[in-house]
Amino acid sequence: MRNLLLAAALLVPVAAPAATPTADWPCIQRLQPRLSLGQVWSGPPPAEGAATPPATAALAERLVQRRMALDEAESEIADFAATADAQALALLMQAVFQRIDTQRATIIQGISRYGHAQVALAGQVETRRRHMAELETADPPDFDAIDAEERALDIDMRVFTDRQQSLTYVCESPVLLEQRLFALGRAIAAHLP
Amino acid sequence: MKHALAILLLTIAATPALAAKVYVSNEKGNDVTVIDGDTFEVLGTYPVGNRPRGITISPDGKELYVCASDDDLVRVFDPETMQEIHTLPSGPDPELFVLHPSGNPLYIANEDDNLVTVVDTQTHRMLAEIPVGVEPEGMGVSPDGKVVINTSETTNMAHFIDAETFEIFANVLVDSRPRFAEFNHDGSKLFVSAEIGGTVTVIDPASQEIAKVISFDIPGVLPEAIQPVGVRVTADGKKVFVALGPANRVAVIDGESLEVTDYILVGQRVWQLAFTPDEKHLYTTNGNSNDVTVIDVATNTALRSIPVGQQPWGVVVAPN
Repeated sequence: MRNLLLAAALLVPVAAPAATPTADWPCIQRLQPRLSLGQVWSGPPPAEGAATPPATAALAERLVQRRMALDEAESEIADFAATADAQALALLMQAVFQRIDTQRATIIQGISRYGHAQVALAGQVETRRRHMAELETADPPDFDAIDAEERALDIDMRVFTDRQQSLTYVCESPVLLEQRLFALGRAIAAHLP
Repeated sequence: MKHALAILLLTIAATPALAAKVYVSNEKGNDVTVIDGDTFEVLGTYPVGNRPRGITISPDGKELYVCASDDDLVRVFDPETMQEIHTLPSGPDPELFVLHPSGNPLYIANEDDNLVTVVDTQTHRMLAEIPVGVEPEGMGVSPDGKVVINTSETTNMAHFIDAETFEIFANVLVDSRPRFAEFNHDGSKLFVSAEIGGTVTVIDPASQEIAKVISFDIPGVLPEAIQPVGVRVTADGKKVFVALGPANRVAVIDGESLEVTDYILVGQRVWQLAFTPDEKHLYTTNGNSNDVTVIDVATNTALRSIPVGQQPWGVVVAPN
């Protein structure tokens, strides 16, 4: 029964899921493994095969860092745009996009590992509970072994619950990256001729 | 004369400016943002209960209805003061609803209970509970008020409900996860969006036959990001706007040829749409960028973005 509750808690982090959470994707947000440039950019497409100038790449590298405040990013983009044409802006957008999309894909893989670790932990809790039940019915009972198993079970349960509570925030991280990408896209597009 | 002028000035001063106000429900913020439709200024943000999603307004503009999904009821507000007037029974987890063109009754989709609840907005009583498909969501009503449409997300059907007998008289299978149903103004076409299917099905309401299935192809956007939800048709039937979810675009469809003519980049995860009464502007709710975009309907361009609350879901514009 307890295991069922655990499984239920794992599968339904909050009410009314928009997607059905699985171990691969334990979030209610619909999984979108990769983003596409057109979701954040309606300017000209970057010329196929065009190399990103080093200065553009360096700027993109700075812009995607979340420690850079958005207004600071906007002012750096404005400085860049002062001497940039539409194609240069498209290349900057592409460089920003590739970096954030890669970061995001890495995070999504991490969330999948997180989901699997939770399922494994739920399994371990169930094994411990069965072991406890066996120890309790033994005659004579080994009270030291029961105490040890109980402590281990408590720790597993606490770790499971803590991780479950963090899941909401973990699942938000791809969205936060998407938000930054979109905001940067808007800031770059604002300078399109 | 002087006296008359004084009265006139007094009257003008005392009448609140009736610029069409825009009301946006913020699902995560548990509030409604009110925007001045003329100046695009945010006039205020008001708490409206837990998890507000569907939002609509009475034809006379005197009652604002909000689906408070986690409170399991519909809350009714005075749109001027944003004070709660009363509540309406809604059945569990109301998500989206539609008001009869006359302003009464209100048809509510109960996502968790596979029901459509019909509520009298005058007596505040429940008139009927209509069993429909699994996970009902989209609600539409024909311009003559005789047919109510419900879409069920899991059954993938548009259910045609007789507004008098509350009986389902036809079911049309559409693409996966239908989210929204919208008639054009002469009632000759019904548009049903399918979020996972990525299409909009156009149905002839008279015969319940499918006239066309519209799909979307945006250069540089992966197909799985194209998830149609909200649909609005201009009064002349010439333009159909479709919100495409995480594609962050609103598609513009020619209402006659049913061909897509444009894709407008708006904000992130665009779901619901509302015209201003003059149909000059279309407001879009962008759930992930926490803003609404104002679209210029004549030119199909995004005019501006207005930051609102957390996770904007629904939007309605006052009729006056």
